[in-house]
Amino acid sequence: MRPSISDEATNHLIKLLKRYISGYSRATFYGPGRCLTRRMLSVALVFLLSCISPLQADPMRITLAISEEGGAYRAFSESLIGKLQPDKYAVKIKRPEDALGGSDLYIAVGMKAASQLAAKDIPTLNVFVPKAGYERLQREYAPRNAPRSAIYLDQPMERQVALLSAALPGVKHVGVLYTAAPTELQSLHHLLGDRNMRLHERVVDKSHPINDALEEVLSESEVLFVLPNSDIYNASTIRNILLTSYRKQIPLVGISQAYVKAGALCAVYTTPEQVATQTLAMIERYAGSGRLPAAQYPGEFEVSVNTQVARSLDLRVKDAEKLRDELRRLP
Amino acid sequence: MRHGFDSLAGYATVLMFGSLLAVTPHVIAAEDTQSEQAYLQDLPVVLSASRLSQPISEAPNAMTVIDRDTIHASGYRNIADLFRLVPGMYVGYQDGFSPFVSYHGSTDNYARRMQVLIDGRSVYLPPFGQVDWADIPVHIDDIERIEVIRGPAAASHGANSTQGVINIITRDASAVKGGSFSVNKGEAGISDTVARIGDAGADLDYRLTLGERSDSGYASEILNDSSKTRLANLRTSYRLNASDTIDIQLGYSEGVRGIGTVGRVTEPFRDIRTRSDFEQVEWTRALRQSDEIKLRYYHITRAYADTAMPMIGTDVVLTQRDEIELQHTFAPWDDNRIVWGGGVRTDTLDNPLSFTSPAPTIKQSRVFAHDEWRMTDSAILNIGTMLEDDGIGHRNNSPRLSLNYHLTPLDTVRVGISRAYRTPVAFEEFSNTQYAVGGKQYTSMGGLQPERILSREIGYIGEFPTAGMTLDTRIYSDRLTDLIFLDPNANGTLGFKNLYSFSVRGFESSLRYRWGDGSDIVLNYAHQRMSCSASGSLTLPFLTPLLQAYIDQCPRMVPLDSGSIMLVEQVTDDVALTVSYFNQGTLQLLDALEAQKQMNRVDIRVARSFGKLDKYGGEIALVVQNAFQDNYTEFANTPQKRNLIFDRRTYLIATVHF
Repeated sequence: MRPSISDEATNHLIKLLKRYISGYSRATFYGPGRCLTRRMLSVALVFLLSCISPLQADPMRITLAISEEGGAYRAFSESLIGKLQPDKYAVKIKRPEDALGGSDLYIAVGMKAASQLAAKDIPTLNVFVPKAGYERLQREYAPRNAPRSAIYLDQPMERQVALLSAALPGVKHVGVLYTAAPTELQSLHHLLGDRNMRLHERVVDKSHPINDALEEVLSESEVLFVLPNSDIYNASTIRNILLTSYRKQIPLVGISQAYVKAGALCAVYTTPEQVATQTLAMIERYAGSGRLPAAQYPGEFEVSVNTQVARSLDLRVKDAEKLRDELRRLP
Repeated sequence: MRHGFDSLAGYATVLMFGSLLAVTPHVIAAEDTQSEQAYLQDLPVVLSASRLSQPISEAPNAMTVIDRDTIHASGYRNIADLFRLVPGMYVGYQDGFSPFVSYHGSTDNYARRMQVLIDGRSVYLPPFGQVDWADIPVHIDDIERIEVIRGPAAASHGANSTQGVINIITRDASAVKGGSFSVNKGEAGISDTVARIGDAGADLDYRLTLGERSDSGYASEILNDSSKTRLANLRTSYRLNASDTIDIQLGYSEGVRGIGTVGRVTEPFRDIRTRSDFEQVEWTRALRQSDEIKLRYYHITRAYADTAMPMIGTDVVLTQRDEIELQHTFAPWDDNRIVWGGGVRTDTLDNPLSFTSPAPTIKQSRVFAHDEWRMTDSAILNIGTMLEDDGIGHRNNSPRLSLNYHLTPLDTVRVGISRAYRTPVAFEEFSNTQYAVGGKQYTSMGGLQPERILSREIGYIGEFPTAGMTLDTRIYSDRLTDLIFLDPNANGTLGFKNLYSFSVRGFESSLRYRWGDGSDIVLNYAHQRMSCSASGSLTLPFLTPLLQAYIDQCPRMVPLDSGSIMLVEQVTDDVALTVSYFNQGTLQLLDALEAQKQMNRVDIRVARSFGKLDKYGGEIALVVQNAFQDNYTEFANTPQKRNLIFDRRTYLIATVHF
């Protein structure tokens, strides 16, 4: 199936890679240490790629379609490229708006790329996509010919609730805010019910602005449990939410490390490197079988705890490693 | 109206600022809720070091926290009254509007041995080392919490944190969302109104309070002590970016106060005027983790004018304070957290009647460092010091060392030792009065040494979650030396000298018990024993028996036993009841004419709320202070005030939120 890779193609790939690397270095500020590593990495990659001989077995062509520059997107793609053996995989990096085609597998990083690729019906593995977002794509662009799968960005609700009860044993009243009832709400209800906990929910909308909803839900809850929603929780609103809940001595359980840095008590999340490892495993399965495993939650994860906040709220929270190990033992 | 106000300029300024800031942008990101942004977005550091308060079991000193709920439940109109809820603390009234608060005894009605900070701003002011509680342009309802540090804490709270610190933290600019209006009417001429408005936006928050407070004071047949105060307070914080915040506070108050005592020619009935304002700017940069840098500047002006002083005419006191402080909090290692910094403070005085012109300007500077070291999971060592140049020729080192050891996660033992100083105030060091107070003129000879304290304590904090109880208790021994007191000069005037020392040993305990939903009781008890001795000699040796008489009276500065009980009960969903009981054994401050009678006072508050919690609702509260008319007597430094009684007071507060 795969045409053998020519010298010309190899050179083209090297050029692309060079442009990608130097483009990114210019685009964002990086400390000198990181710069050096980057340069060394690119030299190594270029060297490795130049060694590819046309006589070798054809590498699988993979296109990474990345929704946004920088941050977690870059951490993921760097990590994945580092893990993909160059003699087995030929990697191209594209923006979702670039012309795509001619690859064996596409990795869509983020919803923007995922939407573009879903419309094309080509073999795609989606990462950095929330389960709800991926399921919407499945409905809107049902895959007809090409395989499609995903690694969700969200943690399974079981894991999040397990963190909640491991970090805050004895808590009975859990508050959530949303703009529209998310699909996970049912399972959250059940999981809390199983542990003798009660869910207190408030809708945020025009007639019920966030400040009112927040005051109400905090008056009934012992912890505010973040459900992903960037209309409610964003860089502009988080300050007010955290200060208000802290004043009432109510901790917040977040969904990423950024929440914990901002002042949330704890969060369970998967690092871009861990997503890359899981992606590699799925790529290898695809390379071996021509089939993508079913869409799945992230397997590996970390737990982060803001010990200063825990101490200030006089909460004796186990340390992050202990909590992570407890969560890893879950079936 | 009896009290006219000449100038509303202060209000106008604040109102203008207020209206400029009233327009807050309300940005809500219109991102798809199913996008990955919710997970991948960057968030600013919100709960940085200075926003996080320490739990009592980890604090380096004994600490009593009076939070917003307690303040609200008390129904009090004056901040000073709240300190009756602190074990070992004394609240006295010089007259209806001049409370003074001391911890472990006071020489007179200027309680000089405690620092009082409001959002880091020191309101312990020259020339007398007084805190003018009634003039502070901060409304009691704008307070978020008060931390009363019982013991020397110069390493963390700066100069003059001698016997303790009252650390008042006002509500964040973002805490007020919407408006409220409150009216209070009652006996003793009580008539208060307060209006408040605020909003929290994406980058800008503000809150604005305008208030007026008046009452007719104590017994009008003895004292002319009615007072009326108007205040305006604005706090706004603006976020420049994810890590930098500028917090601006402005406050203004003006008051008309009655002064004068029946039967005293030197004190005829008349009105005095006071004016206070402050401007404070604070820049905070959040660094990684909960590290931060904070730069604070503030200016305070306090003016006092008595234009009808008998035989003299006009006495004007103008006090100004400027201070700049830089503070850096960081964690060099996981188990250490260091706060260090420095500050410079300038106090300028203009008071022609009390000081030789020009009045002294005192420039104080200091550096401090404090480390919280988590040696093991159960041991926390707090070690720190402050080095200061007090501006009048002394350099002091005020170290503090304490170890908190968690015997179990619920039982903590704290052992601490600390030293601190009290710098002589301007009047003690520099006075040269042009008038006679009670027949005496004051001429300071200068050369005073700072007062010193050495404090040692062992405390236990226990939590009993199943019983719903928390116990915070300690025994302590404080030794204060080189205390400054009056010293008659050879020329017949009065001066000041380091004359005596005292030791206070005692036991303090707070027990909190919560049961059911909304039932809460706090019991405080303090047992104090004081012993005094002369450590200097009077300039005129033949007056030595006079000094001895003071030394003999000195141990009575503190009541042997004192305590309080505060019960807060949510009777039904909308009815709340507070009953507070205060007991204070007999005591006599050093310059009081006779002992104050034992106090057994009961305050009651019943409130009924209606509508929603904070919005479109309100509350009506009935407060009865000294409900059973206990005839305890107040501090009396003139014969006329010997039987000054705080009569039962009833008032009704109606509040609406919108």
